[in-house]
Amino acid sequence: MENDPILRIEDIKKAYRAREILKGISLSISKGELKVLIGPSGGGKSTLLQCINFLVMPDGGDVWLEGRKVNPHRKRELYGYRQQVGMIFQDFNLFDHLSALQNVQIALLRVKGMDKKSARERAVAELERVGLGKHIDHYPAQLSGGQKQRVSIARALAMDPKVMLLDEPTSALDPELIGEVLAVIKNLVANGMTMIMATHQISFSSAFATEIIFMEDGLIVEQGPPSKILSSAECARTKEFCSKIYDLHGEGN
Amino acid sequence: MMPEGLIAVFQALPYILQGSFVTIGIVLGAMGFGLAMGIPLALGQVYGSPPVRVAVRIYVWFFRGVPLLVLLFLFYFGFCSLLDINLSAFTVSVAVLGLISAAYQSQIFRGAIASLPAGQLKAARALGMSDAKAVWFIILPQALRLSIPAWSNEYSIVLKDSAVAYALGVAEIMARTHFVATRTYQHLPLYLAAGTIYLILTYAGTRGLRLLENKVRIRGYSR
Repeated sequence: MENDPILRIEDIKKAYRAREILKGISLSISKGELKVLIGPSGGGKSTLLQCINFLVMPDGGDVWLEGRKVNPHRKRELYGYRQQVGMIFQDFNLFDHLSALQNVQIALLRVKGMDKKSARERAVAELERVGLGKHIDHYPAQLSGGQKQRVSIARALAMDPKVMLLDEPTSALDPELIGEVLAVIKNLVANGMTMIMATHQISFSSAFATEIIFMEDGLIVEQGPPSKILSSAECARTKEFCSKIYDLHGEGN
Repeated sequence: MMPEGLIAVFQALPYILQGSFVTIGIVLGAMGFGLAMGIPLALGQVYGSPPVRVAVRIYVWFFRGVPLLVLLFLFYFGFCSLLDINLSAFTVSVAVLGLISAAYQSQIFRGAIASLPAGQLKAARALGMSDAKAVWFIILPQALRLSIPAWSNEYSIVLKDSAVAYALGVAEIMARTHFVATRTYQHLPLYLAAGTIYLILTYAGTRGLRLLENKVRIRGYSR
């Protein structure tokens, strides 16, 4: 039971006109796992993550959540499914007209239909959990990039997601702000959150990922546990890519 | 010359000022009608299916392209008698100015919606919101804030356009001023007075909207 996948996707395909972005991607993830998608920009990582919760409608392929196939064309089912799959975006996508607290609260009130008091309590708790207990009344424009991303993580966590999809959560951040967001993600790993994350943070991934999946040109080229994929000779393409990233960013995260 | 003019203005002022209530009624009615219709038009143009978008574009093209006076006569003398419905000149003025304002307001809102970062709609959907909820709770509150300056501009245009309702015999500021002027021959002071009333109404409205704009300003954004 523990090893049954929480989320499974099979043969996801997406093309924009003649350009194939995803050429048939399959993967599955079990409870508490962190799967990291790496690979060059334009390789399809972000499109894949958005296809998983149907923000981008795939041309083909299926998604199962806890063994149940999701039918994205039935709206109620789609909205219910999305509530269980948290999404973190590269550029945060906070609601600019709402304070940090309201950003976290709004879906609790308007989607889950919680009453005001419990929604507020929950939102405050989630913001405290990401270290923003003192900033609940700040508006997005008053927050740093790292704080904004932590609000967006709190916003997703408040929905009690079964899986979280993170689309390069640190790529839009100044180098000195990356650490605070990675610390929050590290905490999620420690607490057993199931996550699929696209990132260029190779050392973070090698330390915490269950599996690293290397994507290029819409296909999974190589995949395996970090120890294997980052060192063994059979994963030459991944190694080459990672060494380029190290050259750019050094050994640090 | 001057004393007679002043006397004429003072004698006519209560009568003309009563017309300003009619003018305000036309403007509020038309702006309200335009708002209630402009928002769905804008949403249709941004999020609608291709036929909906085309329909909105044709609507906007028509009501922005035909002169106000032509539309007033077309509806009042044309459609009303064709369909055999008996509407007051006031009602037709409100409706026509409202239909035109809806066309302009829809473009104000469309621009504001388009200027919002697309990612916010994605984030709302990712939280399980329906598109209707996302528009209502996320998109419109921001788009409407951004629309206030342009909306204030639209208010001053509708206010001035309302003077054309005079052509249908609506007893608003312009009609009353004209009525007095043709009897007293004090054209210069009377039209100066009418112009002043319009200036005051423009000022009051734009000032009020400016205050509203500051009141609902999202914190953290500089002016």
